[in-house]
Amino acid sequence: MSPKVMTYKAMKRREMWTAYAFILPTFIGFVIFIVGPMLASFAISLFDWNMLTPPRYIGLANFEQLFRDGRIGSVYLTTFKLALMIVPMNMALGLGLAVLIDRKMPGILRNFFKTSFFFPFVVSAVAVSIIWTFMFHRDLGPINYFLGLLGIDRIPWLNSSIYSPIAIMIADVWRNVGFYVLVFLGGMQAIPRDFYEAAEVDGADSWKQFRYITLPLLSPTVLFLSVISVIGALQIFEQPQILTNGGPGDATRTIVLYLYEQGFRFFDMGYASAIAISLFAIILILTAIQFRLSRRWVFY
Amino acid sequence: MAIDAGTHSEVMLTVSKKRKPFPVGTFITLLILGFGAVLMIAPFLWIISAAFGETTEVFVLPPRWLPHNPSMENFETVFRQVPYHLFMFNSIKLAVIVTIGQLITCSMAAYAFARLQFPGRNVLFVILLSALMIPGQITIVPLFILVRNLGLYNTHLALILPGLVNPFGVFLLRQYFVTIPTELEDAARVDGANVFTIYWRIILPLAGPVLTTLAILTFVGMWNAYFFPLIMINTPELQVITVGLTLLRGQYGAGALGPIAAALAMAIVPVLIVFLLLQKYIIKSVVSTGLKT
Repeated sequence: MSPKVMTYKAMKRREMWTAYAFILPTFIGFVIFIVGPMLASFAISLFDWNMLTPPRYIGLANFEQLFRDGRIGSVYLTTFKLALMIVPMNMALGLGLAVLIDRKMPGILRNFFKTSFFFPFVVSAVAVSIIWTFMFHRDLGPINYFLGLLGIDRIPWLNSSIYSPIAIMIADVWRNVGFYVLVFLGGMQAIPRDFYEAAEVDGADSWKQFRYITLPLLSPTVLFLSVISVIGALQIFEQPQILTNGGPGDATRTIVLYLYEQGFRFFDMGYASAIAISLFAIILILTAIQFRLSRRWVFY
Repeated sequence: MAIDAGTHSEVMLTVSKKRKPFPVGTFITLLILGFGAVLMIAPFLWIISAAFGETTEVFVLPPRWLPHNPSMENFETVFRQVPYHLFMFNSIKLAVIVTIGQLITCSMAAYAFARLQFPGRNVLFVILLSALMIPGQITIVPLFILVRNLGLYNTHLALILPGLVNPFGVFLLRQYFVTIPTELEDAARVDGANVFTIYWRIILPLAGPVLTTLAILTFVGMWNAYFFPLIMINTPELQVITVGLTLLRGQYGAGALGPIAAALAMAIVPVLIVFLLLQKYIIKSVVSTGLKT
C-alpha cells in the first residue's frame, strides 16, 4: 500500500530537518532583530558615533557620562516619581473597581461597566494623549471648566512642574485602568465561592472576607500586575512626549523620552545605547527585587 | 433568581443560597461605577461631537456631548492638511501584513516546539523565551542602525520584518498546540500525511481560538504602534495613523480642536467597531495572556 518505506532512523532525521525548517523564519528574525541588536547595543555604547563621521572607540566614557550628566539624574528621578504615582494608582483603582464590578448586579450592567472601563485600553496611547491635551487645556478644556463649577481656579495642568506629572498620571490611568480591572476580575473569579460561604457561616463581614480571602488569593495576580506595570511605567513615552514634551523644563522628561532625544534628535548613538543599557539593568534589578520580596507576601 | 445570572451562574445553580439583600450598598456601588463609566465615555463623546461640529464653533463651553449643527467641514480640513487617507491605508496595510505574517511564523515555530522531536528543542525554546525580558525600546538604537545599513530606512519593510518575530506569540500558540489530542495526527500519519500536511490541515484548523487571540493582539498592537514608525519612517506619505495624528497636531496649535478631533474620530471609530464586534474575544485574550499592547 504505502509507496515509500522509510527506516525509523530516516524518518527521525526527516522530522528533525522539517522541525528546523519550521523554526527557521522565527530564529532568523530572532537573531537579526532581537539578539543581534541586544549585543550590538553593548558594542555601540563603547563608541562616540553621530552617524555622520565614523564611530570612534572611547571605552567606557559613555557610561562615565551617565554619572556626570546632571540631567540624567533628574530624568531618572522624574521617571521613578511617575512610576511611583502610576503603578499604585492603577493597581488600587483597578482592584477597587474590580471588587465593585464583582458584586451582585444584573449581567448586562456588569458587561457595560467592563466594556466602558476597558475600551480606552484598545485606543492608542497617542490618541488618548492627544484627547487629554484638549481635556487639560487651561482656558477652554472641560477639566478646568468643571473644576470652575466647583469654585476651583483654573489649573495650568500642562505648564506647571507640579501639575504636569499629575496630568500624565491621569491620562495614563484613564487608558490603562481597565486592563487592571479585567485581570483582577479574572483572578477573583478563580477563587472558589465556597470560601466565602464558609466565611459567611463563621460570621465574617464583607471587609474581612476581602482582607482574609480575596486579597491573599489574589496575591499572585497582584505580583504579576506589579511586575509588568513597573516595567511599563519605567518605559512611558507617548504620554509625556505628547502632553508636555518633557516640560516644563525637565519636569516630565522620562528616561525613554531622553533616550529618544539623545539618539534621534542629537544622534549621539553611543550615549543613547549607554542609557538604554542602564534602563535595562534597572528594570532587571527591580524585577528581581519584586520576585524576591514576593516570597514574603505572595500566597500560592 | 433569574437576575443572578451573572458571572457565577454555574455556582448559583448548584448552591442556590439566599443572600441578605444590601440595597444601600448596591446603590452606592452602582453610583460609583456609573460615575466612573461616565468619566471613561464622556471624553470620547466630546471628541466625536467636536469632530462633527463646525470648525468655528470648537471649544464651546460648557462642553457639548452631541454635535449641534452636524457638518463634515473638519474632516475635509484634515484631508486638505495632511494625507490622512494614506496614514489610514498604511496603518491597515502594515497591521494586516504583520498579523498574517506573524500567524504563519509563530504557528510554524510553535508547531515544531509542541510536536516535533529534534536536538536542542528545549534549549532553543528557552533561549527564545528569554527575549521576552528585552523591552523593544531598549534595542531601538542598534535596530535603527541596522535598518539604515540594510537600506530599509523609510520603507515599510523596516516595520514589517521586525514585526514578524514574536517570541510571545510562539509561546502562546505552543501552549495551545500541546493541548490538542494527538489521535487525529496519528490517524493522518497512518494515512501517509507528511508533517506539513498535518500542520496545515489538522493543527491550524483546530487552533482557531488561539490564532484569533494572537491576531487580535498583533493587529491592535500594530494599529497603535508609535515609537517604531516615529523613528523608522520619515516621509509623510509612508507614515502611519498614530504619527499622522501628531503631524496634524503639529500643524495647528493646541487650540484647533475641530480638525484634530475629526482625525481622532477616524482613528478611534474603526477600533470601536472592531472592539464592540469582537468584545468577548478581546477581553478574554487580554486577560488570558495578560499582555499589554
